Amino acid sequence: MKLTLRRRLILIGCASALMLATISVIGESVRASWKEAKLSGEPSQEQPSIPVEGGVFRLIQKALAYKNAPETDAGRQLNGYYGRRAFPGAPPVIPHPTFDERSIGGKACMGCHAEGGFVPFLKAYAPVTPHPEMSNCKQCHASGHQEPGRTPSPFASSRFDPLPPPAIQGAALPGAPPPIPHSLDMRSNCLACHAGPGAPKQIRTSHPERVNCRQCHVQNVPGEPAAPFFQNRGSEPSWEP
Amino acid sequence: MAVKSYLVYPRTGLKIELITQLADLAGCEVTPAENRDVVILVTETSDQLEENRLEQRILSLPALESLNLVCGLEEHKE
Amino acid sequence: MERRQLLKQMAASSAFASAQAVFPGITFAAPKSNASLEGVAWKKAPCRFCGTGCGLLVGIKGSKAVAVKGDALSPVNKGLCCVKGYHAILALYGSDRLTKALVRKNGKLSPAPMAEALDLVANRMKETIAKYGKDAVAIYGSGQWTVPDGYAAAKFFKGGIGTNNVEANARLCMASAVTGFMSSFGLDEPMGCYEDIDHADVFVLWGNNMAEMHPVLFSRLLDQRMNRPGVKIIDLATRTTRTSLASDRLMLFHPQTDLALANAIAYEIIRNGWHNKTFLEKHVSFWTGKTNIGYGLEDKFAFEDKGEQVSFQRFQQLLEEYTPEKVEQISGVPVKDIRFLASLYGDPARKVTSFWCMGVNQHTRGTWMNNLIYNIHLLTGKISTPGNSPFSLTGQPSACGTVREVGTLTNRLPHGVVSNEADRKMAAGIWKVPVDRIPAMPTYHTVEMFRALDRGDIRFLWIQVTNPMVSMPKLRRYRDAANKEDRFIVVSDVYPTPTTDIADVVLPSAMWIEREGMFGNSERRTQHWEAMLPPPGEAMSDTWQLIEIARRMGHGQLFPWTKENHVEEIYKEYSKFHSGAKHEMGSYEDLKKHSGVIWPFVNGKETKWRYHAKYDPAAKGDSFDFYGFPDHKARVWFRPYEPAPEVPDKAYPFWLNTGRVVEHWHTGSMTRRIPVLDKAMPKAYVELHPDDAKALAIRDGDRVRLTSRRGSLVLAASIDKRGRPAKGMVFVPFFDEGILINELTLDSFCPISKEPDYKKCAVKVEKA
Repeated sequence: MKLTLRRRLILIGCASALMLATISVIGESVRASWKEAKLSGEPSQEQPSIPVEGGVFRLIQKALAYKNAPETDAGRQLNGYYGRRAFPGAPPVIPHPTFDERSIGGKACMGCHAEGGFVPFLKAYAPVTPHPEMSNCKQCHASGHQEPGRTPSPFASSRFDPLPPPAIQGAALPGAPPPIPHSLDMRSNCLACHAGPGAPKQIRTSHPERVNCRQCHVQNVPGEPAAPFFQNRGSEPSWEP
Repeated sequence: MAVKSYLVYPRTGLKIELITQLADLAGCEVTPAENRDVVILVTETSDQLEENRLEQRILSLPALESLNLVCGLEEHKE
Repeated sequence: MERRQLLKQMAASSAFASAQAVFPGITFAAPKSNASLEGVAWKKAPCRFCGTGCGLLVGIKGSKAVAVKGDALSPVNKGLCCVKGYHAILALYGSDRLTKALVRKNGKLSPAPMAEALDLVANRMKETIAKYGKDAVAIYGSGQWTVPDGYAAAKFFKGGIGTNNVEANARLCMASAVTGFMSSFGLDEPMGCYEDIDHADVFVLWGNNMAEMHPVLFSRLLDQRMNRPGVKIIDLATRTTRTSLASDRLMLFHPQTDLALANAIAYEIIRNGWHNKTFLEKHVSFWTGKTNIGYGLEDKFAFEDKGEQVSFQRFQQLLEEYTPEKVEQISGVPVKDIRFLASLYGDPARKVTSFWCMGVNQHTRGTWMNNLIYNIHLLTGKISTPGNSPFSLTGQPSACGTVREVGTLTNRLPHGVVSNEADRKMAAGIWKVPVDRIPAMPTYHTVEMFRALDRGDIRFLWIQVTNPMVSMPKLRRYRDAANKEDRFIVVSDVYPTPTTDIADVVLPSAMWIEREGMFGNSERRTQHWEAMLPPPGEAMSDTWQLIEIARRMGHGQLFPWTKENHVEEIYKEYSKFHSGAKHEMGSYEDLKKHSGVIWPFVNGKETKWRYHAKYDPAAKGDSFDFYGFPDHKARVWFRPYEPAPEVPDKAYPFWLNTGRVVEHWHTGSMTRRIPVLDKAMPKAYVELHPDDAKALAIRDGDRVRLTSRRGSLVLAASIDKRGRPAKGMVFVPFFDEGILINELTLDSFCPISKEPDYKKCAVKVEKA
């Protein structure tokens, strides 16, 4: 094509128009973002985190979804839950094959265990981790998956006798909120284990939409010393750890 | 998945302790007799491994005198 | 599931059959759970604890309370409670419940028949008045007094004996809110109601740990945020708490600098033109008051504010000191965050509700702080309409209903103040006493009342439903005062406490649902409950104790009623004080029928939003009408920043902050006797910032010694458990009578409200 002057001018005109358009669009969006920044903006102060207190509020955006999901008996059961733990409070073994022996876990595990869901090839609901801030999963969670045809262990079986798991339904009065019978270290996110089909059926809450769990449920850890309250005297109490 | 029921006898004088200890175990439902030192226990477990474990646990309870199986029922998977 | 249940039933029946065969005649306990709720009658009552005023249904079986559930018909909590509410009935059944009167003989409290104890109290009162005058006797009551309790006390002391020595512990919790309302609006109590929560887009929490202290209301905030995306919760605090972690943004400020922050927000609003000019012109006047007003540390400290009306321009000029840049320097809140918060208030498209409680009220400039939050809402016109609400939350279940509305304070009457002749005439008329019986001069506010006890100006003090020997600031002085010679202390309570320890006579009180009563909560809702259980032993309601004493003192004609009808009659007489569209109370029958009635209750309708003609029949015109003042305008007060009286220095380098936890109510005398709550939170502790702890080589659980200029304590350290104080601050909850943190606090108070500041004094921290 011959580039006559007219054609050149048209080309230049189009290019300029395009440039002007780009500039004005960018300018508009910058202005809009300034406006947004004035009204939103990131916090400038450190937003401290107290895991044992703040954990209860994680996943609250899913609370309504849990509430609206149909009631089901499917999903995990409490017996199976304890079956995967050497003793109550122990980290559960991984009951399914993992794919990368060298991986520490991290994103590979979080793909299913950050928010749970149904895993078709395992035909099971993935439990949600109550401590997603920890990414070195294999530090604590060992493989419990038995390959079929594996040779039996040459060692004698164990005589270890674990403590019984805490009783559930320990409410003080009929209809009262049962207290939390377990420690909250790494288990401060209630919805992870008490809501949704990934939660063991026996401890699934009837009211996941009430997200301020610790308003009603306080900790009563069984076995922890609790001398009944007597009146104290004197300003220097005798020391008790 | 197995459901079993037992008659459970406590050591002398330890009925309350036995009830408390049994009630603490997952998968156990306890109904004490009012006028005898015996307790009815109904257990449910999801597989053989768990069933064995639970039985071992019950047998090792300090307040237990004897455990007598009455009835065992299996729930077959669909 | 059903199949499994069937299998279990089959297995169980086999076992039962076997048992029958082996043991003929054997019987088994009925299965637990729902069967145990048979035969339970559910009766409504407001919760015994905080100022939220949740509606409860108490399960009564025979003469025992056996269960609690939330009242689904109550608009306050809609069927939900908190852990204290759910276990409230357990507070009735502590094993050391006071059931007999106790009289101190030879230094020891020993049981006595109730009649004898009441005679002793009345005689001692007569003797004291004869020897020292009417103003030597006093009563110190409570925001946990029922409405009839408070009315009987006010009528007996002010209209019978003729002394204004009537005070209540609400002076320690809500006085600044009252003086804030009175100076900004001319009338007490919030103009909005809890329904504001359903409309607001932004919630700003000023220095209150709402997730633990008003948990049910906080859950309503969380609910709104879940259902309406865009709702924001901002936590303004001196300490990181559960509330901070649930909020969208935490802004930590240095103690006392909330004064400067509020002014900076006002400055930004005006600078950006976000103030509502028409609203200000029509409905707001501008004022300045005295400055450098002191801290109340001296005995007989007196202060009267003097207001001067100024122009808007002058107000704007005074705010120049409070630019965000300058305020960042003293408060620690970055300029960006101040501007952000101001923009939320200033955005005309956003409805803003502010909540506050003890952080603002228990403050040596508490009245000013209340004024400053109202300023922000008045400048933007965000008030008196659904969702736009500066909402002062109440701590106690009836600080509003009894102390503020019945007027059980030295300067108050059920309607108005003692210094107003018309108000005295009205009281004298309704009470049928001579007008000059009611003194025109207020006598002592709470701190001064205990100082008067110390000096000997008060020789007889009756304490009802409160525990000052744990809750008074600078506790040692006031405990020593109560223990002095020739100071007769009568205590009405339900359990032995450090206050009954110093009593000369202890009267056992009936508790909550053991007698009929009414409470009034933060949102002006009066709630009634019937007597559901017999009180144990000789326990007697506080109202009836007052009536018994009044009768023995020759003032029986003030209470010409029987045990059966006195509560209804008292309420009917009391309601006369509040007739009119500005404060009309629901009738006795209305209260019995409904889960509470908000006042004003005019022509069968609750006034949910006051001062706006669309919602308030007492308002004239077609929009706002602040009828508390003669010019029908609300007042914006310029209030400066002034520092706290005792700030950290080299000798005492930490701030001491005190407060509460969700498990325990105040001084713990009730909740620590509830096993679930005692086990969940058995002992007080001191919270430290992890960096401070590290510098002092203190680990979680270590012994720590806290020392102030007034006392010293040893207690365990808590690091990043329930809360994290700011660096340079420690926090101690005050529920533990074995760790009397108030021995360390300072009895400074707001000169206008006389409310002490429990949040700021200086301590040193050492590993013990």
